[in-house]
Amino acid sequence: MLSPHPRDPARWPRLFTLLLGLLLLAPSFPLTQFNPATLANPDSWHTMAGFVAGFFPPSLQSSFLHDVARETITTLASATAGIALAILLGAPLAFATTRALERQALAAERASASMEGVKSLLRGLMVILRGIPEIVWALLFVRAAGLGSLPAVLAIGLAYGGMLGKVYAEILESQPRELAAALHLQGASRWQCLLYGLWPQALPELLSYSVYRWECAIRASAVMGFVGAGGVGQLLDTSLKMLNGGEVSTLLLVFLLLVNLTEGLSLLSRHALERPRGGVYLLGSGIVAVVASVQWLLPGWRDSGFDLSAIPRFIHDFFLPDGSMLAELAHGTLETLAMSALGTVLAFVAAAMLAMPAAGRFGSLLKLASRLLLNLLRGVPDLLWASIAVLAVGLGPAAGVLALALHTAGVLGRLFAETLENADPAAEQALRLAGAGRVQAFSYGPLPAIFSQWVAYTLYRWENNIRIATVLGIVGAGGLGQQLYLALSLFQQHKAASLIIAMLLLSWLVEQLSRAWRQHMA
Amino acid sequence: MKTLKLSLATALLALSALASAEEAVLKVSAIPDEAPTELQRKFAPLGQYLEKELGMKVQFVPVTDYAAVVTALNSDKIDLAWLGGFTFVQASLHGKVVPLVQREEDSKFTSKFIVNAAVGAKSLKDLKGKSFAFGSASSTSGHLMPRYFLQKEGIKPETFFKNVAYSGAHDATVAWVASGKVDAGALNASVWDKLVESGKVDGSKVKLLATTPPFYDYNWTVRGNLEKKLQERISAAFLKLDPKKPDQKAILDLQRASRFIPTKADNYKGIESAAETAGLLK
Repeated sequence: MLSPHPRDPARWPRLFTLLLGLLLLAPSFPLTQFNPATLANPDSWHTMAGFVAGFFPPSLQSSFLHDVARETITTLASATAGIALAILLGAPLAFATTRALERQALAAERASASMEGVKSLLRGLMVILRGIPEIVWALLFVRAAGLGSLPAVLAIGLAYGGMLGKVYAEILESQPRELAAALHLQGASRWQCLLYGLWPQALPELLSYSVYRWECAIRASAVMGFVGAGGVGQLLDTSLKMLNGGEVSTLLLVFLLLVNLTEGLSLLSRHALERPRGGVYLLGSGIVAVVASVQWLLPGWRDSGFDLSAIPRFIHDFFLPDGSMLAELAHGTLETLAMSALGTVLAFVAAAMLAMPAAGRFGSLLKLASRLLLNLLRGVPDLLWASIAVLAVGLGPAAGVLALALHTAGVLGRLFAETLENADPAAEQALRLAGAGRVQAFSYGPLPAIFSQWVAYTLYRWENNIRIATVLGIVGAGGLGQQLYLALSLFQQHKAASLIIAMLLLSWLVEQLSRAWRQHMA
Repeated sequence: MKTLKLSLATALLALSALASAEEAVLKVSAIPDEAPTELQRKFAPLGQYLEKELGMKVQFVPVTDYAAVVTALNSDKIDLAWLGGFTFVQASLHGKVVPLVQREEDSKFTSKFIVNAAVGAKSLKDLKGKSFAFGSASSTSGHLMPRYFLQKEGIKPETFFKNVAYSGAHDATVAWVASGKVDAGALNASVWDKLVESGKVDGSKVKLLATTPPFYDYNWTVRGNLEKKLQERISAAFLKLDPKKPDQKAILDLQRASRFIPTKADNYKGIESAAETAGLLK
């Protein structure tokens, strides 16, 4: 006979995990100076309300609209040219380093030590390329060689090149090996194995990932202006600094339009991939887009006075990194970590609350409203949220927490809603039929199953947020980014070098931890 | 023979095209200490005047970043730049530059400390634990000198204030303080006076708290390897601006100058040592 369980049998371990989490989180509040009371403070609401009231009407001055149109095209063109550069960089790196084409994978042979050494070097290079956030790359190019859209293109090219190199290699590794192995046995070269054994099956996935990256590049390119690298971000930076609400709202609208447009285009091209010859059309239109982009950007590059020859001197100035600022570095790193942790936890709570209506649990009207809200939260990039958040909670890391929370809530909310919709309704229905209340049925029906999925998504986003938290300081929201921006403004290159190394280490550490964690989970 | 003639003609044409592309252009820029539109408005008549005086095309290169102006001047990408005292020191430490002229007002420049009226501060000491905005980190009158004089009063901004921020430009600092985005801030006296005169400061929201002692600030600087003759002619053109002539008075007014006077690098030694004391030079 079954003995009745009047209470949750797992309550003690659950309570313990929760308390441990809260205990770990507690130092984040003083570190980020995040005080939920500030949000309720009438003064900051007053500031915010004054600014938002200035949003209406959006500025429609013809000279301003003309600038907006020009810079929007520049934003699109920089992203497209940047992705082209990233592919040119990432594809050879992936070809050189992928384990899918290694002899020991294709046949049971040992690779030579020197080849392995070269591969490790290339992998290290990719870690550095993607470990420095694209906006930091842009800032470095702007400081080294001059303003304009070229730094934005180079920044996207380098950062995304490192990323594409890694992901392309992984995509090749995930393909079935038999064909390539058979070709290898018959004496085919590395190239031939790739071209005939892996390429045909991997192509749709490679293209689809590249299109996804292009979508990300547009969001990145739109905020490059915050460091002087052209595009709509440049206009937005000026308008935000001068607190010109009308211009800000016009730019925000353009921004959302741009993000939605690219999402639509990206979806369209992924559909095209499923059609016969879709890949060819996609490739063709991609090449046309790249050529048009470079054509559009070229005159600006000629006039900008971008000076490639200044880069070696700039790099030279970085040696040696300043070692005397360990305390400052430690503080910046802790602040960055605390911002990301607190921001992600707040986002989790907000996302869970928004996911319920967004999954249609409270009627279709609430579903539509919450979906719209989630889209808005997600569509505005973190850096932009940060520059608005400094108005609400003042300058400093607290604004970073709020910015991360808002943007991440949008991202997680959508994912959470999807898991809710996909959850098997049987358990919940059974509990309801057995007389359980709505809350009870939900808590013991679908929740345990989806909760681990939610936690996995949240951990993944946290990893992402640590990287983003390092750059939010560029708009005054604390962390390592703020120190870096200041050091580079004052030509304190040694200090800047130490800060970049700290960023790289943090990014590398997070990547390793997350990989170990995922292997552990699998 | 015919082909030879044709190719000669083509070569000549190409050469002349090259020559016209090489037509002398004076590239001028300025540190973006105010909104970009304001900078363009201020420069337009001065640019036309210089074109007439020098007999060459003058092109204004708008730049949105202080440090970028220094880099551009040091790498010969621009010929003439309007620099602040601190950016001039940075440029002279990174390469060879020659200061030509400055406004008469620049030899006794000051900065203003302003505060949001709701804070109710009467002196700098009352700002303890409040948030504070400098202009650009590379600004002399918006950052370096206010920081230096605060330090002399025994105030270390990073520990004394709750938060230290950089608005990026002098007019932005006023907008930030007026809106309450920050409690207090420091800016260039000349921009403050201009905003007050044109009624752009709401006296019920922003109060003047203190003024710094005078120091040397802004000048017009050329890159060191610019032709000596041209350097002299640029100086002469600035020094000739006469407040008694109405059209030239308009140019001077836009620059907020009574007239221009010659300057020399030694005038900025004081700024350099202030920057060292404030820890802003390495």
